[in-house]
Amino acid sequence: MKYFQKTDGIILAAVLGSALIFLLLNGYFLKGPQDEVFAEIYYDNKLVWRKDLSSAVEGEFSVPGKPDVVFQIFADKSIAFVQSDCPDKVCIHMGKLKKANQFAACLPNKMILKIVSSKEENKSPDLIVR
Amino acid sequence: MRRWTIVFLAVLLLVPFGCVRKKMRYQAEFLSLFDTVTTIVGYSESKQEFTALAEEIKAMLTEYHQLFDIYNNYEGIHNLKTINDNAGKAPVKVDGKLLSMLRFAKKQYYTTNGRMNIAFGSVLSIWHDYRVRGISAPEEAEVPPLELLKRAAEHTNIDNLLIDEKASTVFINDPEMRLDVGAIAKGYAVERVAEILEKRGISSLIISVGGNVRTIGGKPDKKEIVPWNIGIKNPDQESPHTELCSITVKDCSVVSSGSYERYYTVDGIRYHHIIDPRTLMPAVYVTNVTIVCRDSGLADALSTAVFNMPYEEGRAFIEKMDGVEALWVTKDGEIRYTDGFGKLLNGKINK
Repeated sequence: MKYFQKTDGIILAAVLGSALIFLLLNGYFLKGPQDEVFAEIYYDNKLVWRKDLSSAVEGEFSVPGKPDVVFQIFADKSIAFVQSDCPDKVCIHMGKLKKANQFAACLPNKMILKIVSSKEENKSPDLIVR
Repeated sequence: MRRWTIVFLAVLLLVPFGCVRKKMRYQAEFLSLFDTVTTIVGYSESKQEFTALAEEIKAMLTEYHQLFDIYNNYEGIHNLKTINDNAGKAPVKVDGKLLSMLRFAKKQYYTTNGRMNIAFGSVLSIWHDYRVRGISAPEEAEVPPLELLKRAAEHTNIDNLLIDEKASTVFINDPEMRLDVGAIAKGYAVERVAEILEKRGISSLIISVGGNVRTIGGKPDKKEIVPWNIGIKNPDQESPHTELCSITVKDCSVVSSGSYERYYTVDGIRYHHIIDPRTLMPAVYVTNVTIVCRDSGLADALSTAVFNMPYEEGRAFIEKMDGVEALWVTKDGEIRYTDGFGKLLNGKINK
């Protein structure tokens, strides 16, 4: 009795081949074709501002509701807290950010500025010790 | 029929590939603990799973935050503020977690020859008040008078911190002495939480409380687990390189002490927040010290203690210790590190 015929092998190969193509395509779309770096500003745990840093325009700005906290985008596509009404100014002293996984925070104003990458497997450190 | 059986088996064979969900990187931040930023980084199969774990970690850290708080009272909790408020008056019955931290901190005082002293609160509070006033009104910024600091320094004897293990009480035997655990509490709390998570089998996580970083396991990368990549902030704010370097680590802690974030300026001179117990002034030996070792509480204490030592003294001190590595940035911007730290470097050092 023959358990495995030539046509069965073709079906098996076709199913496995399709799965392989699916996995490769899936991996490509999951990773995304390019690595974009976004700056995000959170106020009281809510995302209130987000911008692709590569296309961000130089200049200062504030987010709605927090006019006393001023951010600046620099020519080298970095971003930083530059003014704040907080007592210790640690947020300003944290300096410029431009690489994925960097962040600065202003605790009294409940604000976080962080840099995120569109690509999970980016080359930036997982976290920065400061 | 047989043909359909083969097709069915082929599809069945593929099910595990289709169902294995890739673990994604997630990150959460909290601003409510230890007057600093808490960051949790981990890999999970879903956002819900990661969020639940992050909330659990927050709850555990909140308990330590309340116990180690020197500014606020919490209903039903005897914390460090309770102990300070009762200095010279009466012993305070406290939770075992607080007792253990104080015992650990007292031990580190002797290990570091007094360069990390939690009984230094009376001096630190003077500097804190002058710093806050100096930042809010820069034109009126002043350095605290040395006489005032010296009088406060008379009340910093760690032997006046009396810990009664049997009675679970703590007593400060000097009415003017105050505890300040800023140099050790965050790292100690992170280590205790990490221990609990490791026992539960959590295998891929970073907890950072104000830059006290503790890694658990490594991170998934394709089909293997690789070490975490931890960046060390560049103290030179004008440099185009925001990180000095990065190191690859697994199951250990990385803690930095630096003079570049918490400071105020008087007559053009910066006065930072790490006060040398010998001079009662901000330590002037180095710009940054980074410690790498397993225990986050120890790394926290050592980073402050070594910051309060000249480079040569600090290096000799660290090299006597097992399992501890360090990096220094000297006042003139030179980078020094132990041999073991060099082996952790991931790429070159940016100057």
